[in-house]
Amino acid sequence: MGGGEGEGGRAVNKTVMGKVLLKNIENPNSADIAGYIKTGGYKALSKALELKPSDIIDEVKRSGLRGRGGAGFPTGMKWAFAAADSKKPKFILCNADEGEPGTFKDRPILEKNPHLLIEGMIISGYALQAEYGYIYLRGEYPKAKDILEDAIKQAHDKGYLGEDVHGKGIRFHLHVHQGAGAYICGEETALIESLEGKRGQPRIKPPFPVNEGFLSKPTIINNVETLANIPYIIEIGADAYAEIGSPDCPGPKLYSVSGHVKRPGVYELPMGTTLREIIYNHCGGILGDKKLKAVIPGGISTPILPADAIDCPMDFVNMPKRGSMLGSGAVMVFDETVDLVKVCYRAIKFFEHESCGKCTPCREGVGWMRAILERISNGSGRAGDIDLLIEVSNNITGKTFCPLGDGAAMVVQNFAKHFRSEFEEKIH
Amino acid sequence: MITVTINRKKINLEKPVTILKAAGMAGIEIPTLCHYEMLEAYGGCRLCLVEIEKMPRLQTSCTQYVTDGMVVWTETERVVEARKAMLEFLLINHALDCPYCDKAGECELQDVVAKYGPTTGRFAEGKRRHPESFDDPIIVRNMERCISCTRCVRMCSKVQGACAISMVNRSSKTFVEPFSGGRYDCEYCGNCLTVCPVGAIMSRMHRHAYRPWLIEKEIDTVCSFCGVGCSMVLQARGNSIVRAVPGESAGSNKGLLCNRGRFGYDYVGSSGRLDSPMIKRDGKFQRASWSEAFIYIADRLKKIKDENGGGSIAGIASGRCTNEDGYVFQKFMRAVLGSNNIDSVASFGYAQAQRFFEGIFGQGVTANPMRGISNSDGVFVVGDDPTAVNPVLGLQIRAASHKGVPVVAAGYMPGLRMFATSRLIPRPFTETALLSALVTELRNVKGISGKGPFERVIKDIPSVSLHEAEDACGIPSEDIRSAVDALSHMTNPSIVIGRDILQKPEGQTNLLLLAALISLLNSRIYLLSELPNEQGLVDMGCLPDMLPGGRHLAVESFRRRYEEFFGVDIPSSPGMGIMEMIEAAHAKKIKALYVMGEDLVYNMPDSAYVKAALSKLDFLVVHDIFMTETAGLADVVIPSLSWAEKEGSYTNLERKMQLVRKAVEGKGMEDWRAVAEIGKLLGFDMDYKSSGDIMAEIAKVSPLHKDITYEDMAGGECLWPYKGEPLRHGMSLEGIEMPDKDSLLKRPEKDRIYIGIDKPLFHFENLSRNSAALSSIAPEPYVNIGKALADKLSLAGGDLADITTGTGSLKLSVQVDPDVPESSIRVPDNFGDKGAYTIMSWKINSAIKAPVADATGVAIEKIKRAAEEAAV
Amino acid sequence: MLSENAVKEIGLIRNKYHDVQSSLLPALYVVQREHGWLSPEALKEVGEILNVPKAEVKGVSTFYSMFRHKPMGRHLIQLCTNVACMIMDAERLVDILKSRYGLEPNGTTDDGRFSLIIMECIGACGTAPAMLVDTDFHDNLTEKYIEEILAKYK
Ligand SMILES: Cc1cc2nc3c(=O)[nH]c(=O)nc-3n(C[C@H](O)[C@H](O)[C@H](O)COP(=O)(O)O)c2cc1C
Ligand code: SF4
Ligand code: FES
Repeated sequence: MGGGEGEGGRAVNKTVMGKVLLKNIENPNSADIAGYIKTGGYKALSKALELKPSDIIDEVKRSGLRGRGGAGFPTGMKWAFAAADSKKPKFILCNADEGEPGTFKDRPILEKNPHLLIEGMIISGYALQAEYGYIYLRGEYPKAKDILEDAIKQAHDKGYLGEDVHGKGIRFHLHVHQGAGAYICGEETALIESLEGKRGQPRIKPPFPVNEGFLSKPTIINNVETLANIPYIIEIGADAYAEIGSPDCPGPKLYSVSGHVKRPGVYELPMGTTLREIIYNHCGGILGDKKLKAVIPGGISTPILPADAIDCPMDFVNMPKRGSMLGSGAVMVFDETVDLVKVCYRAIKFFEHESCGKCTPCREGVGWMRAILERISNGSGRAGDIDLLIEVSNNITGKTFCPLGDGAAMVVQNFAKHFRSEFEEKIH
Repeated sequence: MITVTINRKKINLEKPVTILKAAGMAGIEIPTLCHYEMLEAYGGCRLCLVEIEKMPRLQTSCTQYVTDGMVVWTETERVVEARKAMLEFLLINHALDCPYCDKAGECELQDVVAKYGPTTGRFAEGKRRHPESFDDPIIVRNMERCISCTRCVRMCSKVQGACAISMVNRSSKTFVEPFSGGRYDCEYCGNCLTVCPVGAIMSRMHRHAYRPWLIEKEIDTVCSFCGVGCSMVLQARGNSIVRAVPGESAGSNKGLLCNRGRFGYDYVGSSGRLDSPMIKRDGKFQRASWSEAFIYIADRLKKIKDENGGGSIAGIASGRCTNEDGYVFQKFMRAVLGSNNIDSVASFGYAQAQRFFEGIFGQGVTANPMRGISNSDGVFVVGDDPTAVNPVLGLQIRAASHKGVPVVAAGYMPGLRMFATSRLIPRPFTETALLSALVTELRNVKGISGKGPFERVIKDIPSVSLHEAEDACGIPSEDIRSAVDALSHMTNPSIVIGRDILQKPEGQTNLLLLAALISLLNSRIYLLSELPNEQGLVDMGCLPDMLPGGRHLAVESFRRRYEEFFGVDIPSSPGMGIMEMIEAAHAKKIKALYVMGEDLVYNMPDSAYVKAALSKLDFLVVHDIFMTETAGLADVVIPSLSWAEKEGSYTNLERKMQLVRKAVEGKGMEDWRAVAEIGKLLGFDMDYKSSGDIMAEIAKVSPLHKDITYEDMAGGECLWPYKGEPLRHGMSLEGIEMPDKDSLLKRPEKDRIYIGIDKPLFHFENLSRNSAALSSIAPEPYVNIGKALADKLSLAGGDLADITTGTGSLKLSVQVDPDVPESSIRVPDNFGDKGAYTIMSWKINSAIKAPVADATGVAIEKIKRAAEEAAV
Repeated sequence: MLSENAVKEIGLIRNKYHDVQSSLLPALYVVQREHGWLSPEALKEVGEILNVPKAEVKGVSTFYSMFRHKPMGRHLIQLCTNVACMIMDAERLVDILKSRYGLEPNGTTDDGRFSLIIMECIGACGTAPAMLVDTDFHDNLTEKYIEEILAKYK
């Protein structure tokens, strides 16, 4: 693994003890419990069950693990909030909605290493004294549903799930719940609504899910990757874990790389690996050895960056400093030939399609941006359109119910900021 | 204590509220579109954004709660710009058809746009297209105007509980739809019309006939479609009502109405209204002048009285008439004609139930504010479906259910299907078994001291086990058990009782069992009341044995008081009840009947019998606003005024007295005025100038209504016991007969099908058929049949069936409802010669003098439909 | 009418949840798997089984883009055209489906063999362009490859 220095702060620790999250996945029977156990699976669970629930939460807190779903919220802190609420029952929800375009990092875990997730969920269930867990799986992963359900059944048969987990007299039931094509259901409160069989629209916060989530009961929602980190934290201990990757947001990280690179795919690298290293060292550089034009570093709703920003370490601390975000770590790479106006238009079309329709600026404003982009993109843009576009985006920013609409506005603003000339060229 | 500063104003608060609310308290207005006081916060429109110091983002004031020390600005440049931006967004897909839209002038969007702009639109692309939907007879949906505030959907699902509409699709393709996409399959409460801030959901009734600024009068009054007495505003232009909207504050309805109240008013302007007195000569009605008619009536009554005595004359009042009408009428009957034969359909159960419970628990036990239902920790409903009989009271039960309060529904109650936690639907005529099992179980769980006299009665009620009850009423014992569990955990429940439970051969026993339950559960009582002034009839002494103010005629001192006041003697023995009058007419024991506003033929059981009885009278006077079947039999018909055309008061089922006000002029005369004119001709001093004069007299003579005034009522707080003196008397257990166990466990005969009365939400007695609006919602009579029976007879929804009883026969279209108890069918009593009363035979219950359904069977046969026949 | 099996399966699903309405989405899937789409009658029936008002069922089902509210062809092609696929030429595949199969987005071929739905990201960006045919993923699509694949679906 290559070297590299964080743009600010301490050096990123590049050592990962082999693969953690993607361990075992080359094995054709990786989803099978026997193989998982053979490579040390469910050991962390046994270890965790010897600890007090509060000790596990402390351990996760000390590990410095931050949520891998996009927002980077400290996981241990979230757990502590939910643990402090005395309402019963409590729920653990795994966010496997993975809807952010460009993101496909959870898929290998779901399809090839399901027991890692299941083990992580059982441990969190124990830590939070929650007896029920649901994996909210996006509808677009039909195979993963079967795989997860098989894996859950296996875990059940082995006594890791059910009325008496591992013979410890605790109860944990886990189910897969299939979404049905709504990006917004990745947002945690919309996910809860959807799980409750409703239209997946975000809820007013507070109350937060940790206090009033699924069925108004304390609920933890974590991303697949976040939960998949838990067994490893228990296994090696918080201190060792905190040594991996970026100091403020340690751990291994899955980067899903797509677009114009030679070897796209999911890479497990230490948190804080630079974009350059990801693109050039791991993905083999730009397809056809063309020039790099731009990168969207963390999924489509994170701000696009020009080529000169690729020395920035990919983590929750450094990306914002460089004007973007780590998001889900979904790196989309664009070579010099790409029509970025079209990319921007397509991205906004996505947001328009996915707006839940609850709040005015997102429901109406994003459609308006799409309309303007559509005409610019197909060459019938008008004078003043770029300013109008930016103004509309500014009118959305900061006023939407949830981050979806804000994200759409941010996309437009950053495309226009870094690549305004491409837009201007299209308006005659 | 929380202190928050809004626009430099300091506001102190006891507990945290939203910024919007806090601002409202301080008189600072923040514009909103998706917010609606009665509904939970939504935060969707983003118009109420405000700036809060130390918070980088603008916040929606409808969702953000204040914290101590918070500093808020509601009209900064940034805020105003944001609002303008939100409005510009909203107008993207909002049809700008204000000149054409009926909402213009009271459109919330129009108002805020006028205030915050934008004045020009920059959105150059095509708007969403969505043709206006006229698929429904009542509601027009224009989704090009919808702003997705979801107020209608939240109202429909969370408050009304009808869940008939929903937002469909997502993104800017979102709009509101009933399930069918066209016609509504809903309760037509129209509360969605109230809440829609724009012209997206409108009533067809005033389409293009209504502009808010052309409204000339807005009259605060009370609805006349049932005993809830919702406050409403009648908006009139010229001499017609253009719209009825709910009153916001005074009534217990707090801004809600049901379909009847909102849309039923159109009968007032119907062309079928009577406009002149009529005298029947040689079998034909002839128009007559008022004085001609009055003199004719006075002469005939005088003759009959002189020849046969006052006891040969009887009077029937109506629960649609005001207290003033009722008071003058009973005075006329007692003082002028010397007869205590005065009664009304309030004696079909309401009056008896109230009297029975008052005897045990004291006068006024049923006078409970309706909101108490949603505030109680349990609800037990029995008898009729409250959501149909008294829809807005029904909403209280649904609200309780929304709060997670257990609701036990005993009986067929389709309106509580989604809300009741226990649903116990007994076979016909086996309610007694169910109730006695409940009493038995609760008596065990709760334990009774057996000390008080009524407790001793409860103790003596024969025990009925769950299995015995199951055997008799067909409800699985575990269902009864779980209802008992729910009931036994209630500490301050409400019990809601419909009159159907009394109209059974075991009606008297059922009352006793209910009283036992009330006592065991320590619950508040609510009696469903089908008529707007049923309670008023009782309070005004329109009963054969009661004087105004709930004073027993038989008690000498009470009678004396009225005799002194009226200046004449009042016969001391009770008169005939309404059912007895009909029998007496049949037997020619009474000669004359004076009917003040009741269609006896169709609002009483066994229409043919009633008709025959009325035809045998020497003299029949009928007041009405339409030429009803009963009026058609009269010798003289006096056109009266509808509730919207006169002044007076109603007393609702909470025993709240409320003002009825005149919105438009009618061609008839107030009932009290007509009666008083006749009284005067008969030499009695009845010189009232206005309804106020009558109320002043009531306030003087009725101890209960002492000193009461219209001002008291106008405030909406004229509550029992007013300023008067309710009777305080010891518990009276008189007349309680202890049933034996066998009578508790009666069961229907095998293979027999029984008929019951269905109470449709959309109709009110037989009057509502004169409302074009209500008739368009529910034009057809029907028969409701349970699934098993329908299958057995191979009947499907829409089939035509022949229903035959010993009394008559009807052809009705079939509706299949799995909830209808086995071996029974239900027919509504609202469709005149196609109504249930035409085929039901009844008996008078000797104890309560109320009609009880005769448990005779019905034969049903499938009829081939015309189309099928043609095909054969 | 739902089949007996479907009703039974929905009954089993209910046990997974603490409240009934949570089983609505899975129940709709059961029906869609059986009928290929969600007819108004089916929505109503699901509502009756789960005691969820039918208007609510409709509101919920129309929110999600993977529920179909009109009949579909025998095989459903769900082709992604989101950014990662778009820059790898997904749009050409749309054209091909149109020109060679007469298949328009949201349309069905005349022989009822295929229906096409344009998808937002399906999580196969690393192997773009990609599609789902029924429940099978196919990625790294090319003009030629897509024909080979579709030939397997009769
Ligand atoms: C519009 C939107 C979409 C989101 N989609 C996802 C998603 O697909 N997967 C995910 O894990 N988190 C998603 N999130 C983030 C979640 O709301 C939430 O922060 C996350 O699941 C928390 O888990 P973590 O703390 O483990 O990251 C989304 C957020 C928003 C606002
Ligand atoms: S119809 Fe009216 S009330 Fe309903 S969502 Fe649209 S604007 Fe709001
Ligand atoms: S009123 Fe606050 S967001 Fe609509």
